[in-house]
Amino acid sequence: MTRSFSIRSSPAFLAGAVVLLLAAALVSGCVGSDPSVEQRSISVTGSTTVLPIAQIAADTYMDKHPNDEILVSGGGSSVGVKAVGEGTADIGMASRDLKSSEMEQYPGLVEHVVAVDGIALIVNPENSISSLTLDQIKAIYKGEITNWKDVGGSDRQIVVVGRDSASGTREFFYEAVMQKEEFVRTQQELNSNGAVKQTVAQTPDAIGYVGLGYIDTSVKAVNINMDGVLVEPTIDNVENKAYPIARSLHMYTKGPETGLAKDFLEFLMSAEGQQIVSNEGFVPII
Amino acid sequence: MQKNRIESQTIDLFTRQNKEKTISCIWLGTALVAVITIILILGFLFKEGLPAIIEIGIPEFIFNEIWRPTSENPSYGIYSLIIGSILVTIGAIAIAVPLGVGSAIFISEVAPPQFREAVKPAIELLAGIPSVVYGFFGLIVLTNWLRILLDLSSGATWLAGSIILGIMALPTIVSISEDAISSVPKDFRSASLALGATRWQTITGVLIPSALSGITAAIILGLGRAIGETMAVLMVTGNAAVIPDPIYNVLSPIRTLTATLGIEMGEVAIGSTHYHALFGMALVLLLITLFVNLSATYILARIREGQTGSSRTPLFSHEQRKQIRSIIILSILVASGWISFQIVGFHGIAILAAILTLGYVGSRFLSRQSKEKIAFGCVTIATALVLFALVAIIFDIVSNGLPAITWEFLTESPRNLGREGGIFPAIVGTIYLVIGAIAIALPIGVGAAIYLNEYTLEGRLTRIIRAGNDLLNGTPSIVFGLFGFAFLVIFVGLGVSLLAGQITLALMVLPTIIRTSEEALKSVPDSLRHGSLALGATRWHTISKVVLPAAAPGILTGTILSIGRAAGETAPLLFTAVVFSKRFLPGTVFEPVMALPYHLFILATNVPGADTQKYGTALVLLALVTGIYAVAILMRRHAQKTVRW
Amino acid sequence: MKQQNNALETQALNLYYGSTQALIEVDIQIPKNKVTALIGPSGCGKSTLLRCFNRMNDLIPDCSISGSILYHGEEITGRSTDVVELRKRIGMVFQQPNPFPKSIYENVIYGPRVHGIKDRKELDAIAEKSLKGAAIWEEVKDRLHDAARGLSGGQQQRLCIARTLSVGPDIILMDEPCSALDPIATAKIENLITELKEEYTVVIVTHNMQQAARVSDYTGLMYMGRLIEFDTTPVIFERPKEELTENYITGRFG
Repeated sequence: MTRSFSIRSSPAFLAGAVVLLLAAALVSGCVGSDPSVEQRSISVTGSTTVLPIAQIAADTYMDKHPNDEILVSGGGSSVGVKAVGEGTADIGMASRDLKSSEMEQYPGLVEHVVAVDGIALIVNPENSISSLTLDQIKAIYKGEITNWKDVGGSDRQIVVVGRDSASGTREFFYEAVMQKEEFVRTQQELNSNGAVKQTVAQTPDAIGYVGLGYIDTSVKAVNINMDGVLVEPTIDNVENKAYPIARSLHMYTKGPETGLAKDFLEFLMSAEGQQIVSNEGFVPII
Repeated sequence: MQKNRIESQTIDLFTRQNKEKTISCIWLGTALVAVITIILILGFLFKEGLPAIIEIGIPEFIFNEIWRPTSENPSYGIYSLIIGSILVTIGAIAIAVPLGVGSAIFISEVAPPQFREAVKPAIELLAGIPSVVYGFFGLIVLTNWLRILLDLSSGATWLAGSIILGIMALPTIVSISEDAISSVPKDFRSASLALGATRWQTITGVLIPSALSGITAAIILGLGRAIGETMAVLMVTGNAAVIPDPIYNVLSPIRTLTATLGIEMGEVAIGSTHYHALFGMALVLLLITLFVNLSATYILARIREGQTGSSRTPLFSHEQRKQIRSIIILSILVASGWISFQIVGFHGIAILAAILTLGYVGSRFLSRQSKEKIAFGCVTIATALVLFALVAIIFDIVSNGLPAITWEFLTESPRNLGREGGIFPAIVGTIYLVIGAIAIALPIGVGAAIYLNEYTLEGRLTRIIRAGNDLLNGTPSIVFGLFGFAFLVIFVGLGVSLLAGQITLALMVLPTIIRTSEEALKSVPDSLRHGSLALGATRWHTISKVVLPAAAPGILTGTILSIGRAAGETAPLLFTAVVFSKRFLPGTVFEPVMALPYHLFILATNVPGADTQKYGTALVLLALVTGIYAVAILMRRHAQKTVRW
Repeated sequence: MKQQNNALETQALNLYYGSTQALIEVDIQIPKNKVTALIGPSGCGKSTLLRCFNRMNDLIPDCSISGSILYHGEEITGRSTDVVELRKRIGMVFQQPNPFPKSIYENVIYGPRVHGIKDRKELDAIAEKSLKGAAIWEEVKDRLHDAARGLSGGQQQRLCIARTLSVGPDIILMDEPCSALDPIATAKIENLITELKEEYTVVIVTHNMQQAARVSDYTGLMYMGRLIEFDTTPVIFERPKEELTENYITGRFG
């Protein structure tokens, strides 16, 4: 029974198509931009670790200079390096140093250290452990110590949580704590500070490492036992170099910075900019 | 005079033929888009991956199980990652296929029609939940739940990954299988029932075999999403690059190729061996996908041949098939025995044995009517489980997200890293991205389906197009992102822009639209086409006025699933279209935008203290997708009501 | 004693689709081992009546009936009736040939298999017997494992009849079985119907009055949901009692 459906239903189909097309047209002809003259705009992209600093700094800067626009996005350190190297972004953010391959490919990049990030060891609040030596941490992450009782805790298997292979945090941890010895292969690898914290918060036997800004009541930060002296992971302790695990965060420009990029980096290095750094849980460089 | 008239008629005929030819060429063009894209992607992966493969050597790369790319003595073996991907996928199949097909059966054959009207859209809604949300649900709820329930030291396991991927594949499998089952001609049902078969016998004996091609397509599409999924898996499987010991230990942590790509691609140093090795890995992933898809296509073709009667000898003789079946059943039994032993020890084996004994006794002594009741019970439970997953995830989002929803949250720009202020630009950005992506992908996808189904006979070209399409479907979303960055942003020079994001998303959803549109066109009976052609209508006229309206509901299903996927994706946008914060709405398509899933991703991973806003963003995203769905579903319902034959 | 000779019988049968009444007070007796034809214009309720006999109307959501239907004197409208068993005994052939998308062999043994026969030899025997019974054995015996949908329309319809025979019914309902077939295929089916009545009771709905006259022993004329007249075929076609019947068979309406 082929009724006259074609006539009756094609309007619905057409209507749908028209809605879609109209909406698409809307996309291209959309309103919203500021009409003022001499608008400057730069884009900042890269490491998601550095992103909070850049974003708040950009917001504060733009509040003062309404004609300037700073677009911040994150995709990872390598995206930052690549984007600034290829010229699709004005500033690249990275939580690690440039690799030799990157220096070869993009020889003109200029490095700016904008902050220091302290790395804290965290355990579940139920865990009775409150301090560890660097050797103990290394042994745990190497897989030589697999039970909490061997470092003075209860008789439970340790769940080792770390960051992914490409993470700048892990790279730093690998150099500073592991002294370039290999991680145990069963360690869980997560892709962000947030995920590490979440996992440690809900896994009673886990240990992990995150940036200082992530420490809250859902996890317990472990003090580092430096030859009998317990050092708490705090911004102050990183600043006065008592706390041993800290790395610098970078921004890169292609050649010497100019224009808005220069103004923005200067703002970041100013006292006000560095205040933002410490508000976000990072360690200021001045 | 007479002569003139004939001439003008010939000219008329000629131009009409020309028009038809032009139209046919246009559709061929659209059909080739998928193929060209996949060739470009493959070429790009090959170019970037080759240096690593040459440096490392294929045997070392594929068969070494140590993946330690950033150590002093780097090792680039991806064997354990390949195994991880395969195991998680197998687990996801084991979970999603029975549940998905069971629910499809329940919805189309067992439940009353009103239930179908309500539940099918609800399940399709699952497809609109962003994968980041699945990941978070997995990380916060599921792994914790598994850890406590099974008394593990950590719930981040192979099992958790398979459950999450299974749930993610479900909407596609349920929705498309249901379409396939309900489009089996009514005659078959009547004939079987008139022979005295029970409804259950009719379902297993006639409906499922007849709908097998659609169901297989559903499974391939569903798993395509699962295999290419990055964000959700990397949050729940623990990502330890080890091979489970023993291999069937579902409680071991595991790491997949996609998770490795998703995690490491953003941070790896450009140009290093590690960087090239990741591209090599993406290439391997695509080749595995290609292999799986080709085998599925081959099997599917044989099934179709068996149904429509071409004279090639069947793949296996009747006796061989029997043997193969018993081997498969035996191995499934052994495997499930081991797995239940692993999970709950000897009790597991006892429970399994009890179930098997019951099943055997049941099949011997129960009447057909009782069997039907049990089977209907099972599919009802399957549907209930699917709905339970839906409700659990949505409840999680709504209960945590509702406190964040204020007028300010919906209408203002974010402040203080999204901890304050609102997400208005992200809402608008997501709408632009999705609508743009659909506006690009829908005409191309439907055009390709029209070409494949209406303008050409099965041959080498259609096989190439289909293979290209399947391959595109299995391409991990992160690879789309990288491809979009390398090709659209840098090579074409679009920059990080709305347009680059729209095109990238469009390419990503294209396979779903092509596949579902093709199935929809296929289910339109030939008699309709012949009826129109016999009236002297041109082929294009027949298609646009008769075939397309009849296929509209199926095409809309594909579009709905695509909207969900496009709206919730983070990875393809990461490098192509988004910024974390933007004060003004984009003025042109060449400006970057904010997007909800990306906002959510950054809040979740790198902004401490934004938990409420995180869930609020997820809730808004869900509501937005629901809204777009509602429109599409209403359109589909309207089309279904007016199209009957 | 009368019941002994009636395979099917309805008493004051009314049937409603929602609020529209499709059958009105139908009383009909279908004699055993005879061919009974139901004729009448489109929409007169003849197919609906046919589908009452094997309860296929159960599949239509808002269909309800009153009155009774007796199968060999046994009431079959109740809830307690085993519909599955009923349909096994009362087979049905549809207007469009509708073989399943399986092989010829699989089509024929589908019925026995759902009724629990597993033994291969027994199934082979049933397949051969049914295909012979439907006069198609000679044409397909060498290609039993080919796809059924590759057969011609007439062959497909005879295959469907074979499929119906395979479960051992005693009544076969045919809903315009030849309307989609050419004259030669139609002739084959008509011959087959005549052969079938040796063993089976056949009820056939047809639009084609010549066909009714050729194959049936009894004919019933339906109009607007009522059974207008029911008698032996010669009586209906030569000396109908009702004017309506005479008008219909002489082609004055319908």
